[in-house]
Amino acid sequence: MTDNPLLEITDLQVTYSGRSLFGFGGKQFHAVKGATLSIRAGETLGLVGESGSGKSSIANAVLGLVKASSGSIRFGDVELASLKTRYPPAIRSQIQAVFQDPYSSLNPSMTVEAIVTEPLRVHTSMDRAERRARAVELLKLVSLSEEHLDRHPHQFSGGQRQRIAIASALALQPKLIVLDEPVSALDVSTQNQIINLLYERRAEFGIAYLMIAHDLALVHHISDRIAVMYLGHVVEEGPSDRVYHAPAHPYTRALLDAVPLLDPQAQRQRRTARKSAPASDAPRLSVSGCPYQNRCPHVMSRCRSEMPPAYAIDGGGTASCFLHATETCDTVRTAKDKESVVS
Amino acid sequence: MTIKSDNLSGAVRHRARWRPNGAQIITGMATGFLVLLAFLAVFADWVSPYDPLRQNLMEALQGPSAAHWLGTDDLGRDVLSRLIHGCRIAAIAAAEATTIAVLLGVPIGLFIGYRGGMWDWVVMRIVEAVVSIPGIMVAIVIIAILGAGLHRAMIALGILFSTSFLRLARGVVLAEREEVYVRSARVVGASDNRILIRHIFPNIAPPLIVQVTLTVGAVLLAEAGLSFIGLGVQPPQASWGTMLNTAAAFMDFNWFLSVPPGVAIILTVLSVNLLGDVLRDSIGRGIAVAVTPDKPAQRFAPEPVAAEPVSLARRADEILRVENLQVMVPARSGGEVPVITDLSLSIARGETLGLVGESGSGKTLTGLAILGLLATGVRTTHGSIMLNGRDLRELTRHQMEQVRGNEAAMVFQDPTTSLNPAFTVGSQISEVLRMKQSLTRKQAWNRTVELIDRVGIPRPEERARAYPHELSGGMAQRVAIARALSCNPSLLIADEPTTALDVTVQQEILDLFRDLQAEFGMAILFVTHDLAVAADICDRIAVMYAGEMVEMADVDPLFAEPRHPYTSGLLSAMPHASDRMPPLPTIRGNVPRPGDWPVGCRFSDRCDYKIAACDARIPLVGTERQVRCIRACEFGMEAAS
Repeated sequence: MTDNPLLEITDLQVTYSGRSLFGFGGKQFHAVKGATLSIRAGETLGLVGESGSGKSSIANAVLGLVKASSGSIRFGDVELASLKTRYPPAIRSQIQAVFQDPYSSLNPSMTVEAIVTEPLRVHTSMDRAERRARAVELLKLVSLSEEHLDRHPHQFSGGQRQRIAIASALALQPKLIVLDEPVSALDVSTQNQIINLLYERRAEFGIAYLMIAHDLALVHHISDRIAVMYLGHVVEEGPSDRVYHAPAHPYTRALLDAVPLLDPQAQRQRRTARKSAPASDAPRLSVSGCPYQNRCPHVMSRCRSEMPPAYAIDGGGTASCFLHATETCDTVRTAKDKESVVS
Repeated sequence: MTIKSDNLSGAVRHRARWRPNGAQIITGMATGFLVLLAFLAVFADWVSPYDPLRQNLMEALQGPSAAHWLGTDDLGRDVLSRLIHGCRIAAIAAAEATTIAVLLGVPIGLFIGYRGGMWDWVVMRIVEAVVSIPGIMVAIVIIAILGAGLHRAMIALGILFSTSFLRLARGVVLAEREEVYVRSARVVGASDNRILIRHIFPNIAPPLIVQVTLTVGAVLLAEAGLSFIGLGVQPPQASWGTMLNTAAAFMDFNWFLSVPPGVAIILTVLSVNLLGDVLRDSIGRGIAVAVTPDKPAQRFAPEPVAAEPVSLARRADEILRVENLQVMVPARSGGEVPVITDLSLSIARGETLGLVGESGSGKTLTGLAILGLLATGVRTTHGSIMLNGRDLRELTRHQMEQVRGNEAAMVFQDPTTSLNPAFTVGSQISEVLRMKQSLTRKQAWNRTVELIDRVGIPRPEERARAYPHELSGGMAQRVAIARALSCNPSLLIADEPTTALDVTVQQEILDLFRDLQAEFGMAILFVTHDLAVAADICDRIAVMYAGEMVEMADVDPLFAEPRHPYTSGLLSAMPHASDRMPPLPTIRGNVPRPGDWPVGCRFSDRCDYKIAACDARIPLVGTERQVRCIRACEFGMEAAS
């Protein structure tokens, strides 16, 4: 805990300006509303949330693909959020990415060699033969071989394409790789191959990962810490095992409970325990207070007016929920029993 | 001014295997013709029998003869010699104008497409202004400024045609700019110029080549046109356009004069366009995603008709019974490749059968095949599909339309695309009711609101008037379910209906399916890749792998003791299955593509339990509980019942 974080995100906000019909004006959309996260060197942070939670916006802000509207993103000693132009090459080569869709993340007109060596062409003065030799090494790291160098992406399966994308991300030996849903487009039988590969390379090179996913269970396998996002807010953060086994925020709980169990009998029991509520029609965006208030079974009057701060949780990490406010410990239990859903 | 893509391209595109078919012969002829033209253009001085400018008024306006194969013109010049020298003019004209058009249009188009903003706005308004005026008028205005003459005319045409290259390049950049690989390139640190030139530009090549050939054709025509009206090549120099001009003036004396330049122009333009299509196809091959398998059954021999006797138990209340279904898709290189073989399944009233498998297993195609919704070229070759006692394969197209919606309905994966964005959701449901159940407008609308209410959407009256994009994914899927159930079908096919949804919404939709089934009693074929979802919603599960069923069982025994190594591999690979750090359990290798299936057990290449006997075809054994594995009994499980 003494060493400084590799990446430190403080109170980050990302806002997109909507475009109206004629390209001017339009509404603003707040994708990230004040997120605070940090990753130490060689650590993996899993960033979990449903669509629209702002997790990909954080990834894009870290990668410099969108501008932070406020807050800070510190990478080592450099403040990324204030960089007006593109990242300087020294920073750029330290932060790489693997994206979700292996079918569109590889340029269809380039060979595997060109894709894997592109970072080397941009950042190093290696000649062609050196680059090719390095490409062979990189392919070996992802369990592909030299014979694949001259092929085009369409000749590979989704899992193999994702291996190629990982080889390219490893080329410059970065300190941080942003993994944006790296396996969600893959078949179940190949998902774990990629997870294992990422895990092995991390151990080998000491790379830190920011892994974005919608599936808590998947992230749990590979992450040291997990952060859960809901509507632009980080609602819970903590050590991977604690978040997965003892979720502190009602939303994290709901997220875990919603995933069907592989045991049909246990799933049936859970199903009957859960009262099948009608589709929530309440507006997802609330003006003030907790972002989860409209769907939360434990909602209190306080949640409607105040934004819950991040409370420390036993076992590590924080949760932004008044259930964990120390002075209201008793209220927590009664609120839980009542399950007062105010609509 | 652009010429519409000629319909010959269709013939070229659908080439089968490599034997000179009609299209290839035509291609060869086109290439040969263009090579001949190039040769004539270069060696015109040596090849032509006479000096194209030598006049001989004694022999003016003669028809074809031994001395003058194509006759002579008004000044007694040899038409063949002039035609040959015209090749040179045509080649120079086409090269000049096309080069100018490409060099001017492509960089500007790339730039404004990538940058966007003000530059894009200004340039596009200018382009629109130019395009809105007839091309030949623009050319004439430019020539009026520059003066007449071949090179000036070609500069004018080049500027004119650059607008189509500009728009093409811009359009491609606008599309490619959003691709993830461009984002990847930015993350790598490539500069804007590098992204444009190295990453985006190569993807413009196929449409660019087509545009170049179209432009060459158009330039040839325009040059002939401009020369014809005296603004291009100046007499006495020979060009096909000036020759036509002469021919027009002396039509009454020698009609044949117009034939040689006319035929030359037609053949050249045709050949160039044809070649462009062939080139585009051969380049596009390196880029296009392989949708269909590259090779026809190489390792896999299509089996004889109905190889397996169907051992599936018959039940009294069966709604759907599929036997020995086989589906073939066309292979790229000709022939057909099986994608589903020997598939038999049945679903009873009120039962949910899960069809589980990874991509390429054929589970989605099975659903589509049942409803007769296969894409063009994909066809059911064997088997029967009995729905309520009628074989759907025997029905006519019209009868099948009656079945769809009434007796059997379908819910698709992505509700935002399966609903038509142009109509309100209510009108899309009531349309089905009016068509299939002949309700009046009022009745249909009332029933629609009832249905929308039934699928758990609050404020149904109001929501019925909403457009699909105004609803969240979960709400839109509820609407799609309401539409599918509008005519009370006895079979509902749900193809990954929760895959596009968030998990909390998925749980609501699964609950909805269960409630609706309890109320309406329909049979559900639930197609999914997610075994956990199948565990939640299904009564029985059929696991598919590489186009065949490998295991089928009631949901509890399947999860408690899977018998096929693939099923157990899938189960242990699920993210929730284990609670440990990597290495996580995997199934090695990849799902083989259709056509690459092993001859014996199709899973054998990836199976840890493979023995020599697995190289022979493995039958599906059992009646209630079925499994396709000869070692199923050895894995500490009792024999298939």
